Amino acid sequence: MNPAPAPDRSEQMEIDASAKWPVLFFLGAALKWLLFGGLLQLASSIQLHNPAFLAGCEWFTHGRLDAAARNALVYGWGMNAAFAVGLWLMARLSLAALRHGGWLYVAHAFWNLGVLLGVAGILGGYSTSFELLEMPSAVGLLLLAAYALIGVWAVTTFSVRNTDNTFASQWWLFAAAFCFPWLYSIAQIMLFQAPVRGTLQAVVNAWYVDGLYHLWFVPVALAVAYYFLPKLLGRPIKNYYIAAIAFWWWLFSVAFTSGARLVDAPVPVWVPTVGIAAQMCVPVAAIIIGMNVFGTIRGDFGRMLASGTLRWVLVSLLCFFAGSVVALLLSVRGVAATANFTLLGEFRDTLWLYGTFGLAAFGAIYFMVPRLCGRAWPSAALVQGHFGASVVGLLLLLIALGVGGWTQGRLLNDPAVAFGDITKALLPWFTAQSVAVMVLLVGHLALAVNFFLLVKQEFLPAGAKPASFAVPPALALPAATPEARH
Amino acid sequence: MKNGLNIFLGVLSAMLLSWACLLYGAHRQFGGLTQHKDAADESLNPAVMPGLANQGRMVYQDLGCVSCHTQQVRHNSPDLARKWGDRESYPRDYIRDVTVHLGNSRIGPDLRNVGARSPDAAYLYKLLYAPQIFAPGTNKPAYDFLFTVRPVQGGAASPKALQLPSKFAPPAGHEVVPTPRAEALVAYLMNLKDTYDYPVEKSRNEPAKKGAGH
Amino acid sequence: MSTPPDRLLAEQSAATDDSIQAVHAQLRAQKPEKPHGYSATPLVLLGIMCTAIFFGSIYLAHYSIRFDPLVVNEVANRAKPGVVTQVVTRAMRGKKVYQETCIACHQANGQGQPGIYPPLAGSEWVNDPAREGQLIRIVLHGLAGPITVAGKEYNNVMAPLGEALNDEKIANVLSYVRSEWGNTGAPEVQPETVAAVRAATAGRKNNWTAAELADVK
Repeated sequence: MNPAPAPDRSEQMEIDASAKWPVLFFLGAALKWLLFGGLLQLASSIQLHNPAFLAGCEWFTHGRLDAAARNALVYGWGMNAAFAVGLWLMARLSLAALRHGGWLYVAHAFWNLGVLLGVAGILGGYSTSFELLEMPSAVGLLLLAAYALIGVWAVTTFSVRNTDNTFASQWWLFAAAFCFPWLYSIAQIMLFQAPVRGTLQAVVNAWYVDGLYHLWFVPVALAVAYYFLPKLLGRPIKNYYIAAIAFWWWLFSVAFTSGARLVDAPVPVWVPTVGIAAQMCVPVAAIIIGMNVFGTIRGDFGRMLASGTLRWVLVSLLCFFAGSVVALLLSVRGVAATANFTLLGEFRDTLWLYGTFGLAAFGAIYFMVPRLCGRAWPSAALVQGHFGASVVGLLLLLIALGVGGWTQGRLLNDPAVAFGDITKALLPWFTAQSVAVMVLLVGHLALAVNFFLLVKQEFLPAGAKPASFAVPPALALPAATPEARH
Repeated sequence: MKNGLNIFLGVLSAMLLSWACLLYGAHRQFGGLTQHKDAADESLNPAVMPGLANQGRMVYQDLGCVSCHTQQVRHNSPDLARKWGDRESYPRDYIRDVTVHLGNSRIGPDLRNVGARSPDAAYLYKLLYAPQIFAPGTNKPAYDFLFTVRPVQGGAASPKALQLPSKFAPPAGHEVVPTPRAEALVAYLMNLKDTYDYPVEKSRNEPAKKGAGH
Repeated sequence: MSTPPDRLLAEQSAATDDSIQAVHAQLRAQKPEKPHGYSATPLVLLGIMCTAIFFGSIYLAHYSIRFDPLVVNEVANRAKPGVVTQVVTRAMRGKKVYQETCIACHQANGQGQPGIYPPLAGSEWVNDPAREGQLIRIVLHGLAGPITVAGKEYNNVMAPLGEALNDEKIANVLSYVRSEWGNTGAPEVQPETVAAVRAATAGRKNNWTAAELADVK
């Protein structure tokens, strides 16, 4: 272990400088995919209430468009953003610079080439039809190779860390970094390289999707929350001594919840039962995390909303808790009997992917990029616009999917209702979904423009104002309170 | 935790447990299901999928039909009342499907037994070409790229030409003919029927009688 | 409230990274405050954890149905299953023979074709137990010439099947025919009976006629 260097601003500058270009490359790719994926998602959503839209072209038939949009958003936006945030966070908390960052460019190129080929492959008719694994299987090797480079970098940075201890965010990042390649390569092997037979394929698929949300995206979001709360509020995490319990409890319970996605499926009944039983245990971790984060916030919601980063973290955490409740509810057999196969599945997944992870990533981006570039964001209006659009869009999307999904479920379970009537009843909700996606897209465009303008200043610095970052104070231990509480 | 190794070992054990119980265990249990031989007529069920139907399965896959249609009939559910199947789907029903398209979204109806409830292939061709014929107001897209509109050749309409109502009919002197992909897809759909009643699955899935011992 | 632009455009931190690390490392080791000599939080949490595991385990025990790979119904019988024997009657086995051999003329619904092939459904030749010998002879050596079935006249040739079908198959298909399409009144046919008839008519090569059959017992 290296001897701890003097803790001063210059060291953070060095860390940020080492991370700058790899992170900016990943972010640039992430934002491009966010916009492109958003467009695909909008087109796919429009087709639900306007089936003639793009119907003549085989490349944009709904089945392909829907899968392409999903994969572009998960692997294009989600993974690139997670890499950017995760690498920077790992470097910062390890107090170690990212070395040999050049390899990260290679990783970035491979990854995005893979996603591009994958999305093009889906649109061209080479989809595998497995949820979130629709990209042709050859692309998987490219993605895993890229990931190996990224993962090795994260682990190397961690192992040469200049601290004796590890902070909660690092545990979460470490777990995510190890879980994803495990999930992805097992899924690739069991579905494509040595395919399993029959409905076991669905069990493997559910295991992968559930793991991707619970063991990759949510941990990165929690890492962001655990870091930025003390960083920006200036207080340590409350009840930190149980944060580790939350980590292990979450890890071991969500490892078994995937069966809850297969309630009533033609699989042995123990598979969904194990999933539901595990799902009953998950809220314990959510409760402890709640104690940590709300104990730290201590009702200071005004300050949270005023902070450029913490406002995102707050909404992200609310989505995390909502997602935990929704996931538990949807796994209950009585509820699943109505909710299965409806928009409610997408409702739950939106809470994880966009609500919990996406918003946390935005918050981290708003903090990170000015420090990497040494300049402030060019436009406050775009920053405000992005937040407003994301919150409004997300709310509208959740209402459309939630109410629409429940309506769909009730009508599907009423055999007297003809299927055509179900479609008619859902039309307003599909339309609301399209409007919501459009609002989100506008917000993302605001971020992309702001980002582009900021990075442009790297090359055209004329007129740009450098931002100055004061050296922050050291975090203080909470004062002991000797008097007894009632 | 001070030690990265501890975290790594913990995460590894969680993942290994998860894989071993949920995937490997499941694989040992039902990854090797085989056809059931009927004692009466010695047929093997589910019957092997004919070649054209298997190609149709690939068309189903490449068009992404799974994003709107499920292929699973739930037990004790309104699926049976909707005549989407005579019985619930069992794992054994799917062993002949190279890729299992269980699906998890019912924007459109369940298709597991569409072959059993569709009157004939002509119905499915028309449904794919112009769903509005049978379901006005549906949001199912029209797959006109699966068909060719061509002039009638040799004076007589092709036996494969679709008989379409006037609103959807091609211009005079033309006919709508399915492409090989459409023929494969319809062969696959007509082949989707889980009609065999497996005796072992049937007896084991019967609901427990009320008041039966635990 | 209006946010000072800097908070949005270039937010300042409130703590250094290394102090975050150091302080939290100390907090990890720190026991919670114990105002009353014990801390409620860990006990409450322990209670919640135990409750979750308890309910989860009960649920698992109740609805996993022996971890049986063939059970998809969570309310199926949890008792250990017995061996399921498929009850197979001669008639069930005979159906396959019928579909391979007889269906072309006598049709799937046993109605034959009016004026051409006689029906088997409702046929007195099939339903009368006393006519078993005649029925077996028809299948063994075929039938030619006029025959009255269910009040209608037919005049055609049925090919002999004694070479193509063994005793077991003949017994099965006749049992099927006697129990299908509402036919009742006659029991299933046994292979031994067929064997006896085959032996008794060993030398015969020609088709039977209805007149000849009338003399058979």
